[in-house]
Amino acid sequence: MNRLAADMLNRLSFLFNNSAVKTLNRICQHITMKKTAIILSVFLLELGAYSASAQPVNALKINEIVVHNEDGLMDDWGKRSGWVEIFNSSYATVNIGGCYLTTDVSQPKMYPIPKGDVLTVIAPRQHTLFWADGKPLRGTFHVNFTLDSVKYIALFSTDGRTLIDSVATPQNMPVDKSYGRIIDGSSTWAIFEKTTPSTNNALLDSNAANQRFEKYDPIGTAMTITAMSVVFIVLILLYLFFRALGKTATRMSAAKVEVTTGGAKGAASGEMYAAIAFAMHQYQVDLSIVESNVLTINKVAKAYSPWSSKIYGLRQAPDRKK
Amino acid sequence: MDILQFLGSNLQQFLSYTAFSHMTFGHIMMILVGLFFIYLAIKYEFEPMLLIPIGFGILVGNIAFKDGLQVGIYEEGSVLNYLYFGVLKGVYPPLIFLGIGAMTDFSALISNPKLMLIGAAAQMGIFGAYIVALFFGFPPNEAAAIGIIGGADGPTAIFLSSRLAPHLMGAVAISAYSYMALVPVIQPPIMRLLTTRRERLIRMKPPRAVSHLEKVLFPIIGMLLTCLIVPSGLPLLGMLFFGNLLKESGVTRRLAETARGPMIDIVTILIGLTVGASTQASTFLSTTSIKIFALGAASFIVATVAGVGFVKIFNLLLKEGNKINPLIGNSGVSAVPDSARVSQIVGLEYDKTNHLLMHAMGPNVAGVIGSAVAAGVLLGFFS
Repeated sequence: MNRLAADMLNRLSFLFNNSAVKTLNRICQHITMKKTAIILSVFLLELGAYSASAQPVNALKINEIVVHNEDGLMDDWGKRSGWVEIFNSSYATVNIGGCYLTTDVSQPKMYPIPKGDVLTVIAPRQHTLFWADGKPLRGTFHVNFTLDSVKYIALFSTDGRTLIDSVATPQNMPVDKSYGRIIDGSSTWAIFEKTTPSTNNALLDSNAANQRFEKYDPIGTAMTITAMSVVFIVLILLYLFFRALGKTATRMSAAKVEVTTGGAKGAASGEMYAAIAFAMHQYQVDLSIVESNVLTINKVAKAYSPWSSKIYGLRQAPDRKK
Repeated sequence: MDILQFLGSNLQQFLSYTAFSHMTFGHIMMILVGLFFIYLAIKYEFEPMLLIPIGFGILVGNIAFKDGLQVGIYEEGSVLNYLYFGVLKGVYPPLIFLGIGAMTDFSALISNPKLMLIGAAAQMGIFGAYIVALFFGFPPNEAAAIGIIGGADGPTAIFLSSRLAPHLMGAVAISAYSYMALVPVIQPPIMRLLTTRRERLIRMKPPRAVSHLEKVLFPIIGMLLTCLIVPSGLPLLGMLFFGNLLKESGVTRRLAETARGPMIDIVTILIGLTVGASTQASTFLSTTSIKIFALGAASFIVATVAGVGFVKIFNLLLKEGNKINPLIGNSGVSAVPDSARVSQIVGLEYDKTNHLLMHAMGPNVAGVIGSAVAAGVLLGFFS
């Protein structure tokens, strides 16, 4: 049992390069431990080892592509080549390491993105760039194909079978133009005059209002005054309208009362009507004979139901005549 | 031994699928928060209709899982993700407003329309928080999404933050609903502090009877006036007034009953659960969320001060006999009907026969309109 535990710990240390696992492994090899303690250790180590591995790779999107890069962005080797931008559309960190990029659906494992590189971890709503220069030895982000004549780019999950995202590239892509999603992660694609590597595709539009307010209203007073004025104007207009309407309604009801009462003064108040009605009610209650121990039996009405309907029923329920 | 190794590897694989192997300290913290919400709702009945779904949603959202199972709220294609779509794209808030419109009686407001102005003044809470959020270093669009907490209206807060700063929506929504539940705790001390004993005893005229015509005209004129000026508030205001017309027209009773009954219940369940589930520890637990909670508290305080203060100033312009009891000033925040209930309770503390509830409902529903208008203005500026 101890050997089994040690073996499992070995596997864990290989898989996760966890120093705590290795340390415990050594301890396990030299010290005889009780079975329960070993199982508990394995369990606890599992907790630690797997805690950082929950990542929704399905949220990754191919976001922007440049096929012909002649005067655009240069890579870390000072060279220009086509590139593919991947966007993490989720609000959680995602590690793209272990996924596959390909230009051929029949070869989904064309470029395996190396595991274990800290740079493959993409922060929430952030981007990463892969250079399609056909020179994978230049680093993690240099793939083993180029985009010159490809019609299709796809990103496959770590199992090499599950398609995460794919895009058909337009034919005859113009030089130094990119093909990307209008808004990061959206389903609408367009050709951009200006490329936006590693930034939001709708950068200029989305930040325009922010930039304006940051420049002209850094404290927020202009916004406060403007917005509060609008709120007050709207509600003042409502107030004025309904004040006028209320006055008209009151006048009309007063006129109606005058007609019905022949202009008798003081009869217009609703409260007075209520008082009169209540007094009359009290008077009628006083007139009636007060009896105690009176049993009242309500007549029980037969509620309609299609189950007892004479129209739909096959048999009519016998109704005893009295 | 081979069989033992096989069993060991199986156990290892099984453990990798259990939530225990993915749980972090943050997840446990959030689960405790969810349990606390449920406790508050059941034990103290603080907004149970909201805190139970949200609290349980927090539990659901913080069960850690292995990637690829398509169960998480942020995983495309998962059931929770489909339900969350209604929050993310602002579908649920207008439906809730439809229900609110169908259940709200605007008679108190129509009979004494000057109370609308209190509802406008209390929106100062939104912009007070906006200014402080800018001071804290938030960009203007995020500051606006945070400021809307001061409107004390959950659906409006969700609607605006989903449009302006979706990454903050969970924190904004939780903050808004938490402080709405805490209205009976936050507001009374401020109301007592800002009013004199004489002011608290002011008796207001009983509201006059409102005719059917006025009630029917209110949603029509209200929609036209507000939406012509602030079209960006159309999803909320349009649905609010539409719901009210269903109620007041007198000929669409069935539609009104559905809107204010089963429909709003369904949407409340969905919005509560998904907003709660969106608070996954990995995205929710951050200093930003703590700042948002602090700003939310500040916005409620500013809103209450603005409402009560406005009534005191307004009273200087009103004749004796027409004066407004400043204890209804707090109701300008749109936490319907909790803030109106607070006015009633605090009013009764000083005069057992002075019932302020009906008067307080006026600014309370005006606050709903005011916060929706404010949200429309912010949306217009930043979208």
